[in-house]
Amino acid sequence: MDRVRSAYRATRRALPFLLRGLVSAAVALVLLIRVLLVAAFTLIGVGWLAIPSTVRAVRRWAGDERHRVAAYTGRPVPAPYPPPDDTGSVSTRTLVADPATWRDVAWVLFHGLTGLVVGVGAVLLPLSVVNAAVVPIYWSAMPADDPVQSPYPVTSWAGALGMLPLGLGWLVLTLVLVPLLARWQAGVAGQLLRPTKDAQLSERVTELTATRAAALEAHGAELRRIERDLHDGTQNRLMGVIMNLGIAERALRRDPTSALPMLLQAQNQATDALTELRDVVRTIYPPVLAERGLDGALAALAARCAIPCTLRVDGLRRLPAAVEAAAYFVVAEALTNASKHSGADHVGVTVTLRPPAVRGDEETLVIEVRDDGHGGADESGGSGLAGIRRRVAAFDGQTSVTSPLGGPTVVEAVIPCAS
Amino acid sequence: MRVVIAEDDTLLREGLVLLLANEGIEVAAAVDNATDFLAAVSAERPDAAVVDVRLPPDFKAEGIAAAAAARRERPGLPVLVLSAYVEDSYATELLANGADGVGYLLKERVGKVEQFLDALNRVAGGGTVMDPEVVSQLMVRRRADDPIRTLTPREREVLALMAEGLANPDIAARLVVTEPAVSKHIRNIFAKLGLAHGDSGHRRVLAVLAYLKS
Repeated sequence: MDRVRSAYRATRRALPFLLRGLVSAAVALVLLIRVLLVAAFTLIGVGWLAIPSTVRAVRRWAGDERHRVAAYTGRPVPAPYPPPDDTGSVSTRTLVADPATWRDVAWVLFHGLTGLVVGVGAVLLPLSVVNAAVVPIYWSAMPADDPVQSPYPVTSWAGALGMLPLGLGWLVLTLVLVPLLARWQAGVAGQLLRPTKDAQLSERVTELTATRAAALEAHGAELRRIERDLHDGTQNRLMGVIMNLGIAERALRRDPTSALPMLLQAQNQATDALTELRDVVRTIYPPVLAERGLDGALAALAARCAIPCTLRVDGLRRLPAAVEAAAYFVVAEALTNASKHSGADHVGVTVTLRPPAVRGDEETLVIEVRDDGHGGADESGGSGLAGIRRRVAAFDGQTSVTSPLGGPTVVEAVIPCAS
Repeated sequence: MRVVIAEDDTLLREGLVLLLANEGIEVAAAVDNATDFLAAVSAERPDAAVVDVRLPPDFKAEGIAAAAAARRERPGLPVLVLSAYVEDSYATELLANGADGVGYLLKERVGKVEQFLDALNRVAGGGTVMDPEVVSQLMVRRRADDPIRTLTPREREVLALMAEGLANPDIAARLVVTEPAVSKHIRNIFAKLGLAHGDSGHRRVLAVLAYLKS
């Protein structure tokens, strides 16, 4: 009974899918004819010009098909097309050389040729069940010289009742075949329309190369910043201490009382050096992270914020130090921005550790800082936003900033946590 | 003596002015960038210049370039370059256009006021001053078969002081030995290293530094 029920459910899901496939198959058939025409005309030269528009049309419908297949299987079918270059245009030569174009054409061929048959079959099978079930009711109403024919002439009650086991046979066939056909169609279309493993891998490599370069760049920039901070701050203050002590030493020989101001100044500068050193250390790895963890550190940030700030953390546990430091940095910068530029009365920070969307993926740390200020945040204006982006990109993460005029401003950073 | 100072850090610049003023040295101008420095050099005609290596806008080696430019403008202008850390390539760049009246010191040497004034005076007098740190950096990077390894410890001390730009009497005073003894050490050093026996002063420094860098 359970098997029948699940077969019934599968059929109910598969039927609409195959019916919509009927429509897309009709389109695919038209596309197939167009592709063949363009191919033929390209052989004699003039078809070349029609290639871009044809590829666009094929891609548009392939895109629809990806959605149809994804909705049915519950697994997304990513598009395999490489992003356009900086000019935004793609040359015909590139289109023709792109394996994705040919795989799209293969789908047009497959779906255009099989989709109609499969779709019509999917309609006829359940109709046959219904028909077989109702023949006993209406066979006698048919004219005697034109009886119900399918699959044999029904001319007697015995013949009419014989339709019932036949209908049962149709039913079994429907429950078995319809889901099977749908799975087959979705499977082949999915295979043809998603990027090949090679393409996926090479795209991933390109992405990783870029983020790695960004990470190195961010790392280098960070080192330069630390060096500058240490040089301009701590080092110069200590030089000052040494210099003032030198002056004091000479003064002591001449007139001891004149040495006192120098000594006091040396003491002040030594204190300043210590303060600046502490600040630099804090930007490298905030000690509060080590002591109180990310949530404790964020709570301290929220409490220190110049405008009222509510903090919500969810599912947080200890994360790699670099991720915690980056998250802390992102929140600190965003809060500084909000209190300096937004004119907000309130700011909300939400930090969530999101479990992986797909098994085998990484967890992600999602940070959202939302203020109720006047919006219009300008990323180019030397704000901390560029720094946030750089620091997040270094982890292969993503930053989005929405700040329409009139507000609110929302900064969202998503950092993958390699565990 | 009248000097011009170029140092971008306000507190350090004021400290230097105060220190020199206390020692009876007139500070004709104290500026925080290379452009103003060059203007001050041509306007004030100082006897010597004290320049920080790192100056705005890029905080790299603008001070070295400014010193070189000032010496092109006023050949022989004594320049003492101060640096937060030792970089022997800076020293080489400084010495490239003549070593007379050139000095390169770590900033913290200023704290030993007496030695700092001595160095400033030597540079102003046309001598050469190299920070001991530069010299010791050059001394450690030696190959195993280096003739320097044949020098006695005392000879190595003398070599280092020569490289710093000290003259024989000063070397004798530092090592608490007699001048003839220093001369004897120097003759031995030149013989062991195969250097032509140079005259005293900055040319000797150049020869020794060139040898150390080779």
